[in-house]
Amino acid sequence: MTIAVDNDMSIFSLVAGASLPVQLVLVVLIITSLFSWWYIFIKLATIKRAETGADDFENAFWTGGDLNKLFEGLTANRRKPQGMASIFEAGFKEYARHKQQPRMEISDVMEGSRRAMRAAYNRELDELDAHLPFLASVGSVSPYIGLFGTVWGIMNAFRGLSSVAQATLSQVAPGIAEALVATAIGLFAAIPAVIAYNRFASSVDRLSVRYESFMEEFTNILQRKS
Amino acid sequence: MIRQYEKEISWKAGAYAIGVHLALLAALLISFNWKAAHPVQNIAEVELWDSLPKAEQQPVPVLEPVVKEQAKPEPVVEEAPKPVVEEKQEEPKVDIALENKKKALAKKEQAKKELIEKVLVEKELEQKKALAQKKQLDALKEEISKDKPTKNNTADALKKLQQEALADEKSEGDKQAVSAKASANAGVVGDYINKIQAKIRSNVNKTLCGEGNPELKFDIALLPTGQLSGSPKLVKTSGSSACDEAVERAIIASEPLPLPADTSLFSQFRNLKLKFRPND
Repeated sequence: MTIAVDNDMSIFSLVAGASLPVQLVLVVLIITSLFSWWYIFIKLATIKRAETGADDFENAFWTGGDLNKLFEGLTANRRKPQGMASIFEAGFKEYARHKQQPRMEISDVMEGSRRAMRAAYNRELDELDAHLPFLASVGSVSPYIGLFGTVWGIMNAFRGLSSVAQATLSQVAPGIAEALVATAIGLFAAIPAVIAYNRFASSVDRLSVRYESFMEEFTNILQRKS
Repeated sequence: MIRQYEKEISWKAGAYAIGVHLALLAALLISFNWKAAHPVQNIAEVELWDSLPKAEQQPVPVLEPVVKEQAKPEPVVEEAPKPVVEEKQEEPKVDIALENKKKALAKKEQAKKELIEKVLVEKELEQKKALAQKKQLDALKEEISKDKPTKNNTADALKKLQQEALADEKSEGDKQAVSAKASANAGVVGDYINKIQAKIRSNVNKTLCGEGNPELKFDIALLPTGQLSGSPKLVKTSGSSACDEAVERAIIASEPLPLPADTSLFSQFRNLKLKFRPND
């Protein structure tokens, strides 16, 4: 059988021989996989940076230095402070402003700085949570997209088999193999996305707990000062 | 898409992501042997053609027992003569030894006349014994020789019977071949086409074909087992689709279709053009 000799099953010929919906599914899955990996590496870097920033700031804060000096050091930097430092900056700025105004109730001052810190905290949390919904969607949906491509490809393979009088495995095998490539790529996109989502979600949770506890402690310190 | 603070690492992350995908592609290319499918297909083809012909299998079981039966009597024939020959060789030796002894004894007797009578008596006794032995041996020989021809006769009879059987088979095969060759066009093929048509006609629901005398033509492709390969093709319609479908159903229902035992004729049945007049 001379056809068998030509029938090499390299992954390129498999993908090129697949039907159009399967090829579309493959393209979509490769793009989502690329994006999810891109976001994974971005999130790895940013969350790591937020954690080291929080560590550094806590070290600087709890060494017992002057709060005014710390604030000036942060604002003197041309870059906008991030993470825990930005919460501290927002709260202390508000507190200093209220302190300059005479006849201000201490509870109002504390309330204002608390609100400012809460706003900064929400902004920080929003940045930490960025791209996590995308990773969650990729992790849950891309297996189904891959499965869709596989089912379509296998349907095609068996439809082609029905027109042949003597069915052999070699007539369906290439179709099924090319269809299974879709599932493989879907899983390749989904597994790292799910793992990364779970890891990043827990990291963001721990960071948010750290931020909240810092807010409470800083409020106490400000109240003692005033 | 990405936040302001993420821009500085976005290029690095993008490069990492592409690197991961290239690694996946490399793993796919290296870990799988993508060109391993060839021998399986060839084996499958061989198996498909081995199981097909039925008629070829019939002479094989007939031939095998014949060969075995031929083989069995041969050792019997070989065994029988061997002991006879050995006995024959032994007998003259014994006789010669006895005669030598006799001669020696005679010389001694002539020398020693006193012992002649005794020796003579002994000689006579010995001769008698030898004669008795010879007689016994002759009797044995006769028995054996009697047995031999009977055995040979039975073996010969078996062989003859086998040869006759073979000859019959051959003559039958020859007859089949001759008849097949002689009446390839008109005889057997025509008979079997008639048989096929009769079998199909018996399955046609004639009420569906109405009152008139419609004629249909179907092209059917057959496998050597008598089964259809592919569905029958309507070449000429009878005019009513119900009648066409009835005949098509009948063709499918009458599987397996009768085919001649001689597989060499099958080539004429591979693609059959059948004419039907259901109301004839």
